[in-house]
Amino acid sequence: MQVHELVGAVHEAAWLPWAVQYFFLIAVSATALLTALPGFLSARPGGIRAARLALMAAVTTGVAAPIALLADLHQPGRFWEFFVYTNPTSWMAWGAWIVPSYVALVLAFAWAVHRPGFHAAGARDWRFAPLYRLLALGGPGNGFAPWLGLAAGAAAAGVLAYTGMEVMVVRARPLWNTPLLPLQFAATGAVGALGLMLVLERVLCRDGGLEAQLNRRLALALAIVGALGTLWLAAGLSGLSPRHAEALASVAGFPVWQRIALWAAAAILLPFLLALAMPRRTGWITGLTAIHAAWMFRWSVFMGGQAVPKVGSGLYDALVPAGAAELAGVIGTFGLWLFLAIAYTSFIPWSDAARPAAPVRRAARPV
Amino acid sequence: MDTTRRGFLGAIGQVSIGAAASVAGADPAAAETGAPHWGMVVDLRKCIGCQACTVACIMENAVPEDAFRTHVSVYELVAEGQDPAMVMLPRLCNHCDDPPCVPVCPVGATFKAESGEVLVDASRCVGCAYCVQACPYDARFINHDTQTADKCTFCFHRTQAGLLPACVETCVGGARNFGDLNDPECEVARMLREHQVSVLRPEMHTNPNVYYIGLDEVLDGRVAGEAAYRPPFDAAPARHGEGL
Repeated sequence: MQVHELVGAVHEAAWLPWAVQYFFLIAVSATALLTALPGFLSARPGGIRAARLALMAAVTTGVAAPIALLADLHQPGRFWEFFVYTNPTSWMAWGAWIVPSYVALVLAFAWAVHRPGFHAAGARDWRFAPLYRLLALGGPGNGFAPWLGLAAGAAAAGVLAYTGMEVMVVRARPLWNTPLLPLQFAATGAVGALGLMLVLERVLCRDGGLEAQLNRRLALALAIVGALGTLWLAAGLSGLSPRHAEALASVAGFPVWQRIALWAAAAILLPFLLALAMPRRTGWITGLTAIHAAWMFRWSVFMGGQAVPKVGSGLYDALVPAGAAELAGVIGTFGLWLFLAIAYTSFIPWSDAARPAAPVRRAARPV
Repeated sequence: MDTTRRGFLGAIGQVSIGAAASVAGADPAAAETGAPHWGMVVDLRKCIGCQACTVACIMENAVPEDAFRTHVSVYELVAEGQDPAMVMLPRLCNHCDDPPCVPVCPVGATFKAESGEVLVDASRCVGCAYCVQACPYDARFINHDTQTADKCTFCFHRTQAGLLPACVETCVGGARNFGDLNDPECEVARMLREHQVSVLRPEMHTNPNVYYIGLDEVLDGRVAGEAAYRPPFDAAPARHGEGL
């Protein structure tokens, strides 16, 4: 039977590119924080330089992400209703509590890690000394930082869980309703975080050893993303997983989706091979390609997913930005991140950040 | 969920009914409370695709440009060895008994009324569009005049006043039939008893309250075939998996 749709309605995307930006930035932030924690919390030497960059990435993207999320609400002024009318059956309602907790904890952890630096800057005789004395809150001690770090790590895991589940539970969109999606969000988030750290390393450090270390980690993250993608495709092609088969069938016949699949494979394979073969002197290209891969994955899932009709035929327009307003959202969010990164590197003694000192214990009194 | 809030149901007239009807869509629990259980039966054999319902809905509910609470999809079906057939398919919110849009709403702005309608409290809606994503029928949209989620209400304001929904009132061929599924004497209950009916996307298990007489199964899900609209980035003709 041949079917020709003669009259049908075209539906616009209800989640705008702001949502892509949010899911990209928050995943980068959460995975960057989880990458930073071992460097700051373990006694193993050598990880602190990467941890500093990871914390920088976690803080700057973690602050920018909720702003993009707020912009995606069509009634941003009503955001407070999330906290007054929480509906416990909605993953988004849980996210409304998890995200602010995460941002507060990551900021608190970053403050604790940098507290000795703030205190030292406040003790110097210079223009901004009073500001840094204020930031130090009267002392350099940060023995409590590991607890804040662990709490922030738990919140980061919560962020990764809720963002994945929020999208995965939408049965109406086959492309989203696949069990592997939360893992893919987390793994591509790690790719984006390591890509961002590589770019930051190239701009701020230019240390070949650190570049090679980050490239090796990136290759591992890309291998995980590739494995998950292969598993997704195999589950869909074999029919072993009906949900993956349905997801694959919903897009497989469209040439534009075939091009997206090839592009995605190239965006994973190219930095993977480069990072493995030449871990030094390739940080710019592997870093930028990794950021691109993580961002494009979300664009394809969110905007591409909304371009697939639920009942009608063909595809809708959502896959390609509709105009200047949508592009402005994307560019503006990255601009905000750039501003935050400049502010962070200008005002925070990030290069002095060290493993938090153990709390000083009083000596026992002789009896 | 408090279905009496904001007086939505305050003025509902009590409909006298007998024993719970043994027809598809009847709700014994609702029948016991005396509340109606509104439903629609669309007889596709009578739909001529005139879009009078589409226009009536827009005029009645001030639906903004580029959005529809209801419309009629039109298809040409070409079976092998047969002449092409024109098929109309009126689409609207299915007012499901298990609506996927309700549990996802983060602030509880969308809810199931006692009389079966799925409604949106626009004064509470934050415009997150999670419900728009969750609806399997593409029946919801963001109204850019109010910046809140919008959808068919079965013309709640009209049924409150004892009137039929605007699309039913204006249907030229009498294809759209509306009434209380709990009332065995009601026309829709009779149609459900006497005809074989289908629902859209039965695999979603949403228990819709919009039923179709004469629905070809190739049209009950995502319709595979040549689309009326083709976006600029996908110029090449494409076919995707059927029945999704």
